Amino acid sequence: MTNRRLKEFGFEPVFGYLLILASFTGLSFFLFYKTEFAQYIYMLISLALTSKLSGTGRNDFLKLCFSDRHYKLVRNIENLTSAIPFLIFLIYKQFFIGSIILTVISLILGLSSFKTNLNVTIPTPFYKKPFEFTVGFRNTFLIFPITYILTIIAVFVDNFNLGIFSFLLVFVVALSFYTKPENEYFVWSFALTPKQFIIEKIKTALFFISILSLPIILTLCVLYYENIDALIAFYLLGCLFLITIILAKYAAYPYEMNLPEVIIIAISISFPPLLLVLTPYFYLKATKKLQHYLA
Amino acid sequence: MIEIIELSKYYGTKQVLSNINMTFLEGNVYGIVGENGAGKTTLFRCIAGLEYYEGKINARLSPLKNHLGLLLTEPYLFSKITGKEYIQLLCNAREIKIGDIDLKNIFELPLNQYASTYSTGMKKKLAITAILLQENTYFILDEPFNGVDIQSNIIITEIIHKLRELNKIVIISSHIFSTLSDTCDEIHLLKNGVFIKTVKKEEFTQLETEMKEMTVGNKIEKLELK
Repeated sequence: MTNRRLKEFGFEPVFGYLLILASFTGLSFFLFYKTEFAQYIYMLISLALTSKLSGTGRNDFLKLCFSDRHYKLVRNIENLTSAIPFLIFLIYKQFFIGSIILTVISLILGLSSFKTNLNVTIPTPFYKKPFEFTVGFRNTFLIFPITYILTIIAVFVDNFNLGIFSFLLVFVVALSFYTKPENEYFVWSFALTPKQFIIEKIKTALFFISILSLPIILTLCVLYYENIDALIAFYLLGCLFLITIILAKYAAYPYEMNLPEVIIIAISISFPPLLLVLTPYFYLKATKKLQHYLA
Repeated sequence: MIEIIELSKYYGTKQVLSNINMTFLEGNVYGIVGENGAGKTTLFRCIAGLEYYEGKINARLSPLKNHLGLLLTEPYLFSKITGKEYIQLLCNAREIKIGDIDLKNIFELPLNQYASTYSTGMKKKLAITAILLQENTYFILDEPFNGVDIQSNIIITEIIHKLRELNKIVIISSHIFSTLSDTCDEIHLLKNGVFIKTVKKEEFTQLETEMKEMTVGNKIEKLELK
């Protein structure tokens, strides 16, 4: 399945695995370089990933397929495989006790199954215009209080850049709401032309991102009035990226964005004027792709 | 009116629908029956404009898709969207202002819960509610009775009668013959992508008998049940 996902994304699986390995190693070194609490964060990340394997649905399926003995064996192998990259790095960093604790908890998790999704309905201010911000907000809701707290910290330590960082974080999270294509039924249902559909999506996204970032914008506007021009520039740039990602999503529709498109968008982060070319290009491609689903 | 003229559909080299000609009139309910793989869902997807095809599909209201309520066999739902938001999304898609959704919740669904946690039948009832609130003129209901409890099946049957009364066009597929005989004015038998028979209401009993003979034959005897 991973091979298929990598191929869909435009990677040869072998390069995909190498890239994942390189990213994992790089991020691990970065984490241990940055903070003394790295081993605890590292263990938590590993356990969070491993706990995803304890979902009731997949465990019920495994129990049906395997005998009790084989089921336990499969689950332990799964959990150890998931923890191994983290264990190797912990051992390399000589955190032996941490690696033993991680092994033991991973094995214990292998004997349990629980609901991995929180089914409590999280209220959102976006219920009138589902679905991107409604679903995205619920998937990432913990990040928003964190960004607001970061803004408060930025004010207390008088660090405008930290405020801008939390502001940009809201935009980055919102961009992730538009990375996966929705089922064709939810495009087809719209009684709009491709152009109207795209404008509607953009209008909704810009309105909702403004709501999400409003507490940060207002705080920074009032307390760093002298930097308002920078704030406006970052806001406009964020909006432009949001528009680009929406257009790129529908330019690839019904498939996920592939590697070349992701690379071009990534390049435009360091060279934003590129967006002025990308946006119309994606727009034309998106209207063409949507023609099949919309009148 | 929906008029299908010489409709053919290929998946690669495999022909799934072959030269279909058919007219659906307002105020009528049409049943489409056929074995799995006969081409029913593909036909529905062609009418909806979700598939490329050869031939023509005309409708009095154009574009047809903007006036069509399409119930899929397995309605697709987002993982973290409530029943109410699903209905809101589909009504927004047609620019319909619905007011208080709770008042129109005739299947008594838990609309504030995530729809992905619903049972199969509840998902279907939610999807039916949404396409009804879209105020469509044409309806394609792909197996609307499957997985739905008996009480709701009675409600769905009454809804279909009401749609006929309102002069809508309803096209249904179902594997349960009694649900079709209760609701349809005409039944069309689809086999290997071709309509092989059209039957009016007064001949439904005869069709059911023929279908039984054709489908079952002596297959049960082959089992040599003891």
